[in-house]
Amino acid sequence: MSERFAVKDLITVGIFSVIMIVLIFAFGMLGYIPILMIGLPIIAALICGIPFMLFLTRVNKFGMVTLMGLILGIVMFLSGHTWIPIVVFTLCALIADIILKMGDYSSVKNSIIAHGVFILGVFGNMLPFFILRDYFLGAIAESMGNDYVNVISPFLTYECLIVLVILTFIVGCISAYVGKLVLKKHFEKAGIA
Amino acid sequence: MELGLDNQFKIDPRTKIILLVIISFMVFNEAPLYVSGILVLVPFICLFFSDYKKAAIIYIFLYVIARYIQIYLLPNTTGIVSILLVTFSYTASRMLPIFVMGYYTITSTKVSEFIASMEKSNVPKEIIIPISVIFRYIPSVYEEIKSITNAMKMRGFGFTTKSLKSPLKLIEFYMVPILISAVKTSDELSAASLTRGLSNPEKRTHLIDAEFNKWDYILLIVSIIGLGIYSYYFIGGVVLA
Amino acid sequence: MLNMDNVSFSYAEDENLADVNLNIKKGEVILLCGESGCGKTTLTRFLNGLIPNFFDGKRQGEVYLDNKAISEMPIYEISKYVGSVFQNPKTQFFNVDTTSEITFGCENLAVEKSEIETRLEKVVNDFKITHLLDKNIFKISGGEKQKIACASISAVFPEIFVLDEPSSNLDSKSSWEFEQIIKKWKSQGKTVIIAEHKLFFLKDVVDRVIFIKNGKITYDWHISEFKKLNHRDLGLRQLDLDNLTAKRTDYYSNNDDFLELKNFNFKYKKVPALDINNVKIPKNEIIAIIGKNGAGKSTFANCLCGLKRSFKGEVIFDNQRLKRKDMLKKTYMVMQDVNHQLFTESVLDEVLLSMDEENMDLAENILINLNLIHLKDKHPMALSGGEKQRVAIASAIASKKEILIFDEPTSGLDLKNMMKVSENLIHLQKLGITSFIITHDFELIMEACSHVLHFEDGKIIDNYKVDEEKLKKFFLE
Repeated sequence: MSERFAVKDLITVGIFSVIMIVLIFAFGMLGYIPILMIGLPIIAALICGIPFMLFLTRVNKFGMVTLMGLILGIVMFLSGHTWIPIVVFTLCALIADIILKMGDYSSVKNSIIAHGVFILGVFGNMLPFFILRDYFLGAIAESMGNDYVNVISPFLTYECLIVLVILTFIVGCISAYVGKLVLKKHFEKAGIA
Repeated sequence: MELGLDNQFKIDPRTKIILLVIISFMVFNEAPLYVSGILVLVPFICLFFSDYKKAAIIYIFLYVIARYIQIYLLPNTTGIVSILLVTFSYTASRMLPIFVMGYYTITSTKVSEFIASMEKSNVPKEIIIPISVIFRYIPSVYEEIKSITNAMKMRGFGFTTKSLKSPLKLIEFYMVPILISAVKTSDELSAASLTRGLSNPEKRTHLIDAEFNKWDYILLIVSIIGLGIYSYYFIGGVVLA
Repeated sequence: MLNMDNVSFSYAEDENLADVNLNIKKGEVILLCGESGCGKTTLTRFLNGLIPNFFDGKRQGEVYLDNKAISEMPIYEISKYVGSVFQNPKTQFFNVDTTSEITFGCENLAVEKSEIETRLEKVVNDFKITHLLDKNIFKISGGEKQKIACASISAVFPEIFVLDEPSSNLDSKSSWEFEQIIKKWKSQGKTVIIAEHKLFFLKDVVDRVIFIKNGKITYDWHISEFKKLNHRDLGLRQLDLDNLTAKRTDYYSNNDDFLELKNFNFKYKKVPALDINNVKIPKNEIIAIIGKNGAGKSTFANCLCGLKRSFKGEVIFDNQRLKRKDMLKKTYMVMQDVNHQLFTESVLDEVLLSMDEENMDLAENILINLNLIHLKDKHPMALSGGEKQRVAIASAIASKKEILIFDEPTSGLDLKNMMKVSENLIHLQKLGITSFIITHDFELIMEACSHVLHFEDGKIIDNYKVDEEKLKKFFLE
C-alpha cells in the first residue's frame, strides 16, 4: 500500500461515498421534474452536511477529501452523467481539502466552509443541462415567440448559474453547521464521533 | 472466453468506460440523426445482446418518441405543453444514450471483473479500493433503508399525518441509523480486509483475466467511426457553413 | 506454534486482557469461552495481528508465531499463516459475488493464477459448495455466507484459523455444518482457535477449553474435564442440549383465547412464499417460531406486522377483525438489528415518541419495569445490545402494541443476557402481550416458550404446545 493512505482510509472514503451517492441520487430523482432540476444542487447541499461532517471526524490527512470528490465524480461518470463531474467534483474537493488543511483538520469554521465548497461539485451533474440551454430557448422561441423566452430565459442564464452557485454554497455551509449540531446530538453521545 | 470464438456477448469494463467517454461527447452538441445515429445505437447493441432486451427496446422506443416530438410535434404546440415537451425531448435525445450506457455499465459489470481490468490498466489502489467498496456497500445500504422504513411504519411514521408534520425529523430518523452502521461497517470491513492481506504492497493477481475479445474490438471500432462522423460534422464545415 | 507471553491490552481506560500466557500447539482445536466482554475477542485480535496493526491501545507482552514476534510482522504477512472468520457475515465480505470472495485472499497475496484455480477447486470440493459459486452474496443465507467466509480463508492455506463468534447468526443445521468444517481443518492438521458463546456444536471437535474472566485466563481444561462441569454455574451456554428440560410446559392463561390467522398467503415475485389458510394460536403465550432458513418465518413476521403492502390476510382475536392496516397498529417487531428501530437522542424520548400523547409518568413507569430508568437520558446507540432491545420493547409497550414479534433476539448472546431476554418476555406476558419469537436458540425456547409453530416451505407444518421430544428432534438432528 502507498504510504499516503491506509486501507482503512480508503474503505472509509468508499463507505461515505456510498452515503453521499445514495442521498444525491435519491433526492436527485426530484431533479427530473423540470423546474426542480435547477434546485438539485441546493437539495444536495442541504442533505449532505450531516454525513460530510461525520466523514470529517475520520479524516486527518490531506487527500482523503480530494479522493472522495474524485471517486464521486467517477461514479457519476460511470452512471452516465458524462465525464464533466470527474473534473468539477475533484476540483471542488481539492479546494475543500486545502481549506481543511489550513484549519489543521480540526477547525469547525473551516469544516463548514469546506463542505460549502465540496458540495459545489454537484454542479458537474448540472452543467450538461446548462449547456443544453441554447437549444431549450431556441426551440421555445420557435414555438412560442420571443416574448415568452424573455420571461423564462433569466432562469437559464449564466448569471442565474452564478446565483445558484452562491446559494448552494450558503446552503452547504448552513447544512454543515446543522451537521455539526447533529453530530453533537447523536454521534458524540453514542460514542462514535 | 477461448480466443473469443464463442458468441457469448461480453465486453471488458475498459471498453465500457471508453464507450461512456465517447458517448458523453454527444451532450455538447445537437446533431441530426444521420450523424449521431451510430453512437445512439451503441448502448442499444450492448443492452440487446446481453439479455437486457426489454431495456434495449424501451430505450429505442423512448428515443424515437423524443426525436419524433422534437421534429414533428414541437413546431405545432404552444404554452406549457410546449415547455414540457421541449424539456423532455431535448433531455431525452441527448442525455438518454449516456444514461442508458451508464445503466448498462453499472448493472452488467461484476465487481471482480471491474477490479481486474482496472488493475491491468494500472489504476492505483487509492481509486480501486474505494470503488470496489461502493459496489459492495450499495446493496447493504439498500437493505438498511428498507429495514428502517419498516421500523418507521411500525411506529406510525408511514404515509401518515404524523410523519408529514415533521419531514425534517424523518430525514434525521433515516440518517442516524444509516450513518451509525456506516461507521461500524467501515471499521469491521477494514479489519476483515486487513486480515486477508489487502494491504500487501505486491501487485495483486487475478482469477479472472481481463482480455479484449472480438466484441470489444467491434464496439470500439464502431463507436470510433461514430465519433469520427460526429466530429467531422461539427469541425468539417457543416456547422461552419 | 503460538505463544502468548505476558500479554496485556487496554483499548481505553479499562484493561481488557491482563497477563495472558498461553501456548498453543500445532493441530489443537481450542475453545475460548467466558461472558460477553471478558476479553475473548481481544485475545483473538492478538492472534490475527489486528492488535497492533488495526486497534490502538496500551499493549504489553508479545505473541510469537513460530518464534517470530507477531507485532513485528506486517499484517499481510500474518494473513499467510492466520486466517480469520468474524461474527457478522454482513461486514466481512469485500466482494459482491461468492467466487471472487473465495479467491480474494489469494489475489491479495499475489498467488499465481493457475495456483488460485487449483485452490479454488480444492476448497469447493472440501466444503461441497459448488452450488454456491458465482452467486450474489446478498442473496444467500447466513449459514451459506459463513461457509463462503470459511472457504475464502481456507483458500489461502493458513496453518491457523481464528474464529470470533462465527456461529452467532447460524441456525442449528448450519451450526452442525460448521462443526464439519472445523473437523475438516482438524483432519488436515490445522490449528483452530474459536471464541464462542454457543457451545453445543463444538463438543465433539474441541480438544481444549480456555475460560476467560475479566481479561484473565482462569481455567485451562481438557475437553473431557470440561464436559463434566456445570456450565450454567460458569455463566456458559449449554454444551449438551440433550440435558435441557422445558420450563414452561403449561400455558400461562388457561382460558380458551385464541389468535386466529386467516388467509396468510403471500407471493414474492409470483412464487408463493407464505401459504397458511386458517390457524389458531393460543393468545398471551410466548410462541417459538422454528424452521430452516427460507422456510417463510421472516415473511410470516412481516405479514403479521402489516408490512407487506399487497398482503390480504387477517388476524382475529378478542372478537376483533384486524386487516393489514390494523395489524400495523397492534403489532410490533423487535428486529434482529435493533439499531434500525431506534431514532431519537435519549431512551426517554424513544418511549415518548411512541405515544399518541406524551405522558411522562407512564413513560417512566415503563422504563422502571424494564429496568431502564437509570439510562433514561442516555443515547440509545450508546447502550449494549441487550439494553437496546429493551428500549425497543419499551417503545412497543408505549404504543400499546398487543402482539410482539422478536427476530432472533438472542443471537450472539451469552447465558446472562439470554436469561435477561427470557425475563423480558415473561414480563411482557404478564402485561397481556402475545409474543412470537423467531429463533434458532434451543436454550431460549426451553427457558421461555410454551408453544411452537414449525414452518417449512411457507407452511406451518406443526403447531403444538412445547414438547421436548419434538423440539430435540428438530434441533439435534
